[in-house]
Amino acid sequence: MTDIALIVDDSAVNRQLLARHLAGIEIEAREAGDGRVALQMLRELDGQVGVVLLDVVMPEMDGYETLAAIKADEELRHVPVIMISGVDELDSVVRCIRLGATDYLPKPFNPTILAARVRASLADKRVHDMELAHAAQQAALLETIERQKEELSRFLSPQVAALVSTPEGQALLAGHRREATALFADLRGFTTFSDQAEPEEVLNLLREYHGAMGALIIEHGGTLEHFAGDGMMVFFNDPVPQADHVERAVRMAVAMRDMFEGMAAKWARLGFELGLGIGIATGYATLGRIGFEGRYDYGMVGTAVIVASRLSSAAEANQILLNPRAHAAVDQMTQVEEVGDLQLNGVARPMPTVNVLAVTGTPAAVS
Amino acid sequence: MTDEAPVLDQSVIDELRDSVGGDEEFIADLVSTYVSEGSGHFAAMQEAADAGDAAAIVRPAHTLKSSSAALGAMRLSAIAREIEMAGREGTTDGLNERVTEARQAWDETLKEMAGAGLIK
Repeated sequence: MTDIALIVDDSAVNRQLLARHLAGIEIEAREAGDGRVALQMLRELDGQVGVVLLDVVMPEMDGYETLAAIKADEELRHVPVIMISGVDELDSVVRCIRLGATDYLPKPFNPTILAARVRASLADKRVHDMELAHAAQQAALLETIERQKEELSRFLSPQVAALVSTPEGQALLAGHRREATALFADLRGFTTFSDQAEPEEVLNLLREYHGAMGALIIEHGGTLEHFAGDGMMVFFNDPVPQADHVERAVRMAVAMRDMFEGMAAKWARLGFELGLGIGIATGYATLGRIGFEGRYDYGMVGTAVIVASRLSSAAEANQILLNPRAHAAVDQMTQVEEVGDLQLNGVARPMPTVNVLAVTGTPAAVS
Repeated sequence: MTDEAPVLDQSVIDELRDSVGGDEEFIADLVSTYVSEGSGHFAAMQEAADAGDAAAIVRPAHTLKSSSAALGAMRLSAIAREIEMAGREGTTDGLNERVTEARQAWDETLKEMAGAGLIK
């Protein structure tokens, strides 16, 4: 509650009279004989004072100084101050209002005017307190949302986590059609490795592999749809549009291959032959929320996804296979070798496919 | 001018009484506060007048003016107001005489208050 009125007047007669009038309208009053005592009481009553009735002429610390001190104090400045003033002191009232006083109360006191002004000031203070409380709630809510988003982004792609909290994002989640580039990657020799290696070794390898690949996905702005054991699917140009989505996918694939070489060498010394095969396909697809209530993924559905998956399966260790549409988009900046027309499962016609040997030139807009 | 103001304006007392719902005990209490506080103001005014300190007389005169007016002691309030004004202007001439005049008005006020049954 902030309904206490603090009466600051050096005249005990005035204090007693004001307190009595306030009691008549059921407002609790406290009294201070000068400004210094008033400031001390304001701080001790910590937020409970809803209005200050302040005399101008007082010993120790007069009304001006007291008012200035209240207005200069971050904790007290919002407490309304009503100046108590005689009819011949209107000049000082004007000065006090310029200093931040809310209103004034003429002497001799008229209980009706007193009640009206004190009630108005208490109401102001209550509104202000409510606003403060509301702002604090908002801040706490925002903090919770940020924390949840942060927590969520540990499980989802950052791009998808960001979607959840915007209206545009909600529209994208609902589903849309767009050209996109899908990338599948999985390990050659992983099945044999997981049969022969100790479970700890398998988990260590996956942890290292996911960590390294995850960093590259983030670096290239890819949206990770899923990790599944040794496999992963990443897509580009959605939900954040990327004009250079094919280039990003190809550069990321090359970086993954380079990165994996070092890791594979280490595992080879332990007797495990592992290689990374990557398939990339560009095409129109449907993107958005896929799944069921309780477990949704942000996914990509379309022929390009199937083609990328098949290319990844068809790829030998260290190969990065592109469909014709992806190849056309990066033709100028890549060195490729023909791997011929591949008959892919579920794809009607044999598909002319290339393997990326290297990417030349600097990235156009990879960030 | 100041002589024309009544020593005790009964209408102020009546209004005051009305405003507190006829609470005689409260009025008596308030008058008692006024009386005990008043002697302090006189002491402070006398000290300032003796020292010729115009600035120091402002505050007690101001407070006396205000509480006297609240209780209908209009003559004393008017004299206190003149003392306060003189103090603000830095006038020390005749300050002692003014304080003496105020003291006379104070005595008359107390007498009338007692007569009106406000001081038991």
